Amino acid sequence: MENSLKGEQIVQELLPRKFKTSGRIWVGILVAICLVGVYAYYRQLRYGLIVTNMRDYVSWGIYISNFVFFVAISLVGSLITAVFRLAGVKWGAPLTRIAEMIAVGAIIFASIIIIVDMGSPERFYNLFLYGRIQSPIMWDVIVITTYFFISLLLLYYPLLPDIKILLRFKEKSGPGLHKFYSFLGSFWKGDHKQYLLSKKAINVLCIAIIPVAFTIHTVTSWLFATTYRPGWDSTNFGAYFIAGAFLVGAGSVVVAMYIFRTWYHLDKYITVEHFDKMGRVLVLLCLLYLYFNVNEFLTPFFKMKESEAGYLNDLFSGSFAPIFWFAVLTGIVLPIIILLFKAGRKPLPMFIVGIMVVVGAWFKRYLIVTPTLLHPFMPMHDVPKMYTHYFPSWEEWAISMASLAGAMLVITILCRIFPIIPIQETLDEHHETAK
Amino acid sequence: MNTMKLLNKIVAGSIAVMLLISGNKGFSQGAEKASLSITLSYYEVNNQLPHISALVKTKVDGRFKPAGGIPLKLFLNKDSAGTVIGKVVTNENGQAFAFIPPSLKNEWKSSKTHTFLASFDGDKRYESAKADLTVAKAKIEISTADKTITAKVFQLTDTTWVPVKGVDVKFGVRRLGADLPVNETPTFTTDSTGQASADFKRDSIPGDAKGNIVLVAKVEDNEQFGNIAVEKTVPWGAKFVPVNTFDERTLFATRSKAPIWLIVVSSGIILAVWITLILLVQNIFRIKKLGQETE
Repeated sequence: MENSLKGEQIVQELLPRKFKTSGRIWVGILVAICLVGVYAYYRQLRYGLIVTNMRDYVSWGIYISNFVFFVAISLVGSLITAVFRLAGVKWGAPLTRIAEMIAVGAIIFASIIIIVDMGSPERFYNLFLYGRIQSPIMWDVIVITTYFFISLLLLYYPLLPDIKILLRFKEKSGPGLHKFYSFLGSFWKGDHKQYLLSKKAINVLCIAIIPVAFTIHTVTSWLFATTYRPGWDSTNFGAYFIAGAFLVGAGSVVVAMYIFRTWYHLDKYITVEHFDKMGRVLVLLCLLYLYFNVNEFLTPFFKMKESEAGYLNDLFSGSFAPIFWFAVLTGIVLPIIILLFKAGRKPLPMFIVGIMVVVGAWFKRYLIVTPTLLHPFMPMHDVPKMYTHYFPSWEEWAISMASLAGAMLVITILCRIFPIIPIQETLDEHHETAK
Repeated sequence: MNTMKLLNKIVAGSIAVMLLISGNKGFSQGAEKASLSITLSYYEVNNQLPHISALVKTKVDGRFKPAGGIPLKLFLNKDSAGTVIGKVVTNENGQAFAFIPPSLKNEWKSSKTHTFLASFDGDKRYESAKADLTVAKAKIEISTADKTITAKVFQLTDTTWVPVKGVDVKFGVRRLGADLPVNETPTFTTDSTGQASADFKRDSIPGDAKGNIVLVAKVEDNEQFGNIAVEKTVPWGAKFVPVNTFDERTLFATRSKAPIWLIVVSSGIILAVWITLILLVQNIFRIKKLGQETE
């Protein structure tokens, strides 16, 4: 009796809640940023890519940096959900839904931002009509679509038992949402056969998502590495990108964990221990990414080939040095130092470290794209001065910020509709503990 | 008093030294013109239309350097209006070229030796200059047999061509940058019959699609004959088979020409993953069906 009362309390605490004033303001801010971005994109469509500051040399600017950032963040779905699950890491269970929501939000906007980068998006369909299977861009399109689909399924399957619970609370969810829940999973009765089929499907998805996740970011790295340019001509790029992706993904989960925990008072479910363990994961990923960074930069720095010297000097001590060292220190070195101490793995320091990692990672993506394009092997000759440097136009900033806001809006909407922490899994765990 | 004398001497000496130092350039401004050196060369390839090359140099800081933009008048045999070969201007390398025009055909046929004259009238920078070159008419005949090349050098005497002894001949294969010697011996000298022979030792040299290469026998910078050469095409080279991947299955071809291995591997992966995903979607319908049956 006490057990069922406790269970009911868990359900009540984990049900999705309507936004209060702060939530509405948050959504309003995100929508406003998105609208500014939509207007900027209207201008880009109306006047063409000339409204951006991308020119002959820097033809991939902040949009592609953002694309790489989104793809990187989306990998967290595979890390928390699949890798943890297959490795038997049970403490990660309350974080799986957060990870999947972030993955879905990020992958949607990775797809959108790549279309934004196109001068004539109305010709996008030509990619499918005339795309060449030999092109890494085609591989990227295929693998992003696949990853998006797997992420959706991985979000959907574990939701089925929770939807059954949500359907019990028609008054609380309202008629619209109730109808939506019914459409999604009114057929779920939770019997043994259904449970077995669902469990099998989740296991298959967990296995499938890992190679696809590795592929998505490796292929993204190959978009650069298969292009012969200073800084991109690297065999280390696939592993370097994946290490960085797991780091930024884990960082974003930590940030989301703290926000949801504080906002929805989920201290009982997302505990200090979760932060401590995620801190350990994060420090490991930071060290791994640091290792790949050393690999990526030390050997070219040691050789200092004439053709790459301009790029490397610009990065280490030139115009990009402040961003470069900021990204390295903020995104990798300082988190390692902070997280090595137990006090650094408490919720608030972890939240700050998570933000540092995510911000550092965003600038790192910018540094992967832009400095290389400003240092081609063939020196720039007889070009307008503005071609020789790059700073995004307000339209680029607005669209990029709108894409970030859009991804957060998707996550916000998902956490409004669905439970942030899997209810049924938490109940099962509670019953097991009670036994 | 002695001090004053010494001071005067120092002042006078200093003024004299300063004048010497500054005067060297100061007095030469616009007063002296540089002299030019003109060198003429005669060329004839395959017994066809001969041409003249003029190389003009000037001394700058003790070294000869090419003088560009120098207008030259070229004449055949004598400096007169009827024997003008042409007016040329030297390029940045100090060189200028001119073919002997058809209008001088009779003049050309009239003699077995000819003198070429070049003259520069002088301008603000350079003194006037002249040069001449006398050549005797000669020709080379080339023949090949069993990878041996034979050249015969003849000189025109009155109306007949007679073999010339003791002329240095070079044998080579025409390549893009220069002529490649046919073997390790740089030059061959003609015998009393005017003949010189060389063995061809460049068997593996790439030729055209049929293996053709162009042999050349030449006399270079000869005091008597100038530069004469003759060419012959022989199928002694290796056949060049161009590697053209156009319209073949490569990573850089069009979409319809993707490599088979890539199509198989990528299709295999895509099918394996998407069939799994389709089955997983189908699985949802199975779960749905089970739920409806339970109801």
